[in-house]
Amino acid sequence: MDDTATVDLVRELVLRLLSPGGRSSTASNNSSDAAVRYALRLLSSRMSPSVIPDELSLVESIKRRLALSGRSSSALGFADLHSKLSARAPLLDRWALLYLLNSLSLDRHRPESSPASGLPFLPLHPPHPPRTSASSIAGGMTGGGVLLVAKDPENIREIALREYADLFMEDNEVSESALVRDVLYACQGIDGRYVRFDRSTDGYDMPESLKVPKPTRSIVRRLCELGWLFRKVRGYISEGIVDRQFDIGTVGQAFCSSLQDELVDYYKLLTVLTSQSANPIPSAGSDSGGGAGNYLSLRRLAVWLAEPTVRMRLMAVLVDVCGELRGGAMAGAIHSHAQHGNPLVQEFMGRLLRRVCSPLFEMVRIWVLEGELEDVFAEFFILSQPVKAESLWREGYQIQSSMLPSFISPLLAQRILRTGKSINFLRVCCEDNGWVEASGEAVAHVGATTRRGGLGYGDTNALEALVVEAAKRIDRHLMDVIHKRYRFKDHCLAIKGYLLLGQGDFVKYLMDIVGPELSEPANTISSFQLAGLLETAIRASNAQYDDREILDRLKVRMMEHGDGDRGWDVFSLEYDARVPLDTVFTALNMKRYLKIFNFLWKLKRVEHALTGLWKTVKPNYINSCIFANESFGVKLQFVSVLRRLQVLWNEMNHFVTNFQYYIMFEVLEVSWAHFSDGMNSSKDLDDLLAAHDKYLYSILEKSLLGEGSQSINKTLFVLFDHILRFRSLADRWFEHIHELQHRRNKSKLKSKGELGKVGSLIDGGRKALLQFSRDFFGKMSEELDKVAKEYSAALHDFISQLPLQQHIDLKFLLFRLDFTEYYSRVSSNK
Amino acid sequence: MEATGGQIAKETLELAFQISNMLETGLDRHTLSLLIALIDRGINPEPLSAVVRELSSPPSRTQPSSAFSSSTKP
Repeated sequence: MDDTATVDLVRELVLRLLSPGGRSSTASNNSSDAAVRYALRLLSSRMSPSVIPDELSLVESIKRRLALSGRSSSALGFADLHSKLSARAPLLDRWALLYLLNSLSLDRHRPESSPASGLPFLPLHPPHPPRTSASSIAGGMTGGGVLLVAKDPENIREIALREYADLFMEDNEVSESALVRDVLYACQGIDGRYVRFDRSTDGYDMPESLKVPKPTRSIVRRLCELGWLFRKVRGYISEGIVDRQFDIGTVGQAFCSSLQDELVDYYKLLTVLTSQSANPIPSAGSDSGGGAGNYLSLRRLAVWLAEPTVRMRLMAVLVDVCGELRGGAMAGAIHSHAQHGNPLVQEFMGRLLRRVCSPLFEMVRIWVLEGELEDVFAEFFILSQPVKAESLWREGYQIQSSMLPSFISPLLAQRILRTGKSINFLRVCCEDNGWVEASGEAVAHVGATTRRGGLGYGDTNALEALVVEAAKRIDRHLMDVIHKRYRFKDHCLAIKGYLLLGQGDFVKYLMDIVGPELSEPANTISSFQLAGLLETAIRASNAQYDDREILDRLKVRMMEHGDGDRGWDVFSLEYDARVPLDTVFTALNMKRYLKIFNFLWKLKRVEHALTGLWKTVKPNYINSCIFANESFGVKLQFVSVLRRLQVLWNEMNHFVTNFQYYIMFEVLEVSWAHFSDGMNSSKDLDDLLAAHDKYLYSILEKSLLGEGSQSINKTLFVLFDHILRFRSLADRWFEHIHELQHRRNKSKLKSKGELGKVGSLIDGGRKALLQFSRDFFGKMSEELDKVAKEYSAALHDFISQLPLQQHIDLKFLLFRLDFTEYYSRVSSNK
Repeated sequence: MEATGGQIAKETLELAFQISNMLETGLDRHTLSLLIALIDRGINPEPLSAVVRELSSPPSRTQPSSAFSSSTKP
């Protein structure tokens, strides 16, 4: 820098500057030397400008200054000159020149402003009056070094702008770029320098002490909502993946991973924004225009973050909703939020749901096609319990409706349950593997694949089709197996024949044989003996032509007995149904059959008793010969008693016959017909079970064995008791009568043989006989009256209670019993 | 059209003079040419402008400059 040419130039410059009129002489020689030295010192002092040597920005700033000071034409002219200069002299350090000129011109126009170069003295007034410049300096300098000297009156706007800028700068402790950076940190959940997460208000906020203007504060707060949402979502994800890893289940894991994928997009956006925010922002008062490049202000940030906020809000809502839910419940909750009109939301939810529901759909597919439950975390809506083989169908699998997602309807869920249950049933109880072909066929028919992930969320229709096909085929297969291999219908018929006393001849033989045995007290009867008698009965009737397998299952069973029970009370037959038919003939159902059997057996017994009595009582020749030779009085008594007996017998018989007819035909046969229809039309095991239950239920109801009929049932049994007592009474009487007759005949013969000697005996005998018979018949008629009265009372009771019954078929019973309304008229007459 | 170096220099000077007029720096052609020459030599414009500013002041400041000069006298 100190080469002589430079020094010379400097000297010359100094000289020129010091004496503007031209070179002067001696008076300024000393001072000029001093000045030169001073100048050299200055120049070597390494003062460098404080701005980056950017020519374009300098040009811009000059232009702006010119424009702002009201000389826009000069600005255009300057631009023109500058371009010419660039064209003419590309090697010239234009920036330096321009900077020089600019600083000189600034200096001229702002003599009072802060010292640019730190010189110890300032010019007190504008230095050189004669200037070639066109403009006039207005010279209105006022104090307080903020205001510009106004060159034109129209500068008021610029003054106002600068005033505002300065006020703004005063109010703002924090620069906008720092705030933007902090907001971006907040959006990632990190606390910035000014914006921090406040636990008490549960939100991001700046401390009150910070001096920030209100609008800025509010916009920052609004933007930080995104940060709050992000925190929530991220908290849920990390909790799900780290803390409750083994608890949240496959559906929860799918949900967390899909949320994470959505967040990746969000991170990308934030990265781009962060890189943009590193560029400088022009503050309100600065002059440099900044580059034409992107810069980020709070408002631009707000625009950029609008869409991510919507999505993050959606995710946060879902996180809230899913909270503690798992499995199918979670899928259902998310699905309920997917019903939205906004296509953006729909697409987002669709993506999410496809991933969340895929474990569920997979589970359904495997369950429906193979009957396997792959459910480690208990998320599926089908629960299995370990039970014995016979209750596998009814209790082994259940639907857990809390885990049922809302896009699977309850009907579909029932079908799904039934299909899987059938497969398991076939596999376990029937030991049948034919269902494999059925599944394969179903899949081929629907066209779905048997691979994983073949079904997705949107494919509820496809799932339904698959389930329906599989259900149809598997049910058909199951029905085939039940009917053909296990001969369900045959077993039902057998039960009807034996337990429900359908096989009439067998029952008659059984009763004949077993009857005398059963009159003994219960604890003296051995079941082995009874079993032998059962065999005999079977062989004696048409039952012997039945299938051996069926006959094997028929057994005698003695129920528990207390003291005083007769064999009649504890005897019953039993049918042993094995797996898998015991799903239908459960223990409960067998108990019901037992109840019905007991009832029917009792009824049969009463009928048997009455028919047996008729043999003795019927008005035939034998009976008319009794006491034929006696005196008229005795005979009359006898005949009247006998007649009354027969009448009572007839009443009882009428009742028993009609009742039995009702039971046999109206109840049993009709119910069987309905059941048969139901059996033929049932498509799956559930239907079959329902039909069978209905059958039993209707039998119970109609034969007055149901819960609603307990009082009338008691009345009925009272009636039966009366009838049985009547029979035993009548038997005894006739025993007496026959004995009497026998003795009489004997004595007659005797009297014929030994005339005279035994005359007195005969006489005495006759009188005694008369007396005896009178007593006897009197007693007999008394007892008969009593029985008759009791019987009528019981019958009236029964008939009056009958109309109160619920079941419509009992009206038919009433109709039969009281066809001529005899009883009701009698009772109304009473 | 090929211009000689001198012509270019003259045009450059002319343009620079017009710019400086527009900016009202109050420099005349000769001074400006000197300044351009100095800048070309690589001197920083900042101290240069300081020099111009200082030395363009009225002569009433010769006293402080003499004080300076007296201090710098070897």
